[in-house]
Amino acid sequence: MKSICRALIVSLLFFSYQSTAGMIGTDQIRAAPAAQSERIHVQNALSRADVVSALQSMGVDVNAARDRVASMTDEEARSLSGKLHSVPAGAGSDGWWIAVIVVVALLLWWRWR
Amino acid sequence: MTTVERMLENARVFAGVFFLCAALGGCATVFPQTAELRAEWPAGLPQEIELSEVPFFPQTEYQCGPAALATALAHLSLPVTADDLVKDLYIPARKGTVPVEMLATPRRHGIISYTLAPRMADVLREIAAGNPVIVLQNYSTWPIFKFWHYAVAIGFDAVSGTVQLRSGEEERLSIPLGILEYTWKDGGNWAMVVVPPDRIPATAERARYFDSIAALERAGQPAAAAIAYEQFLSRWPDDLGASVGLANAYYAIGHLERTEGALRRALDRHPDSVVLLNNLAHTLSEAGRSKEALELIERAAGDGPHAKTVGETRALILQRLAQ
Repeated sequence: MKSICRALIVSLLFFSYQSTAGMIGTDQIRAAPAAQSERIHVQNALSRADVVSALQSMGVDVNAARDRVASMTDEEARSLSGKLHSVPAGAGSDGWWIAVIVVVALLLWWRWR
Repeated sequence: MTTVERMLENARVFAGVFFLCAALGGCATVFPQTAELRAEWPAGLPQEIELSEVPFFPQTEYQCGPAALATALAHLSLPVTADDLVKDLYIPARKGTVPVEMLATPRRHGIISYTLAPRMADVLREIAAGNPVIVLQNYSTWPIFKFWHYAVAIGFDAVSGTVQLRSGEEERLSIPLGILEYTWKDGGNWAMVVVPPDRIPATAERARYFDSIAALERAGQPAAAAIAYEQFLSRWPDDLGASVGLANAYYAIGHLERTEGALRRALDRHPDSVVLLNNLAHTLSEAGRSKEALELIERAAGDGPHAKTVGETRALILQRLAQ
């Protein structure tokens, strides 16, 4: 598990450095001073790795999890890091919530009139 | 009438009066946005509209996320079904889908996802422009227990004060605007639309929409991002970020001529931008024009935040010239 994590972090770091060689990236326009931006780089890679392993521990296949995290922005990955258990997750199972709607609807109908 | 019946009758009247007071006093605080819409319908917004051609994918089990997103994507004629999206969206241990992944998944299809400003009027404007809006609702009335659900808003009617949804197993669920607002507020009034890269959402705000395109570029879709940046620049031509983004997207798909063109157009507007100078110098050098590149990179010299990259570009150019 730990070795998978480490491999992930390394590959994510490599990916993010590689993509910016030579050209200044779109996300670096409002760049912070060099030392700080390197630290942010590492933090971003860490939060991505964290979300990948959290998804994996919650039943998502590791390759799928990696692809899923790759399509997130740094900010999005940070917002999920350490919080995947608590952020809202839309579910909606069969039928019973319609009963809840009816109750709420009746209450609101009273107020609306 | 017996005493018991009279007491019951009184209780009923009492309850009615109590409710009415709560309603009159509380309406604007419980449903501020609905109250505002009732007071004044937004200018330029039709009284009613329904995008009845929006497809419907009834959700199975806990998969309202895949169903809602498939509804919006299939409306853009993408050949996806709710089942296809389960592997991209569903988290088994949560029995659900998180909003971030609702935004991230369309990017893999070269589609832009845009988070709306938290205003109900914006939701209605997007619908009126032909964009179904995915909303995150909490259907629980208890404060401790949350019941999150995604639905797709496809229509509204100002006269009856209702909004129409594709929701769960309901192909057409019509609910009062007030209920939408009430169930919508716990999730921070979260709503999104998906648009093809050549179309700007009706309520697009500059910074917010730029972030949406940059996210598409970041997700490995430079060709789609380039189209979107072009559209963005035709509306906001002086945007430095989008100019850099456009050039980077062209560079990523290996189109050096277009990269150069985009950077030169941007340099006319921002002649001192270190980012533009560095990226143009790098591009020209890649195209075997290191002499021109050297002149440009000299103009970028300095000790700003990009000094390190500029130094590397300059070293590379000098190395190529020496060969």
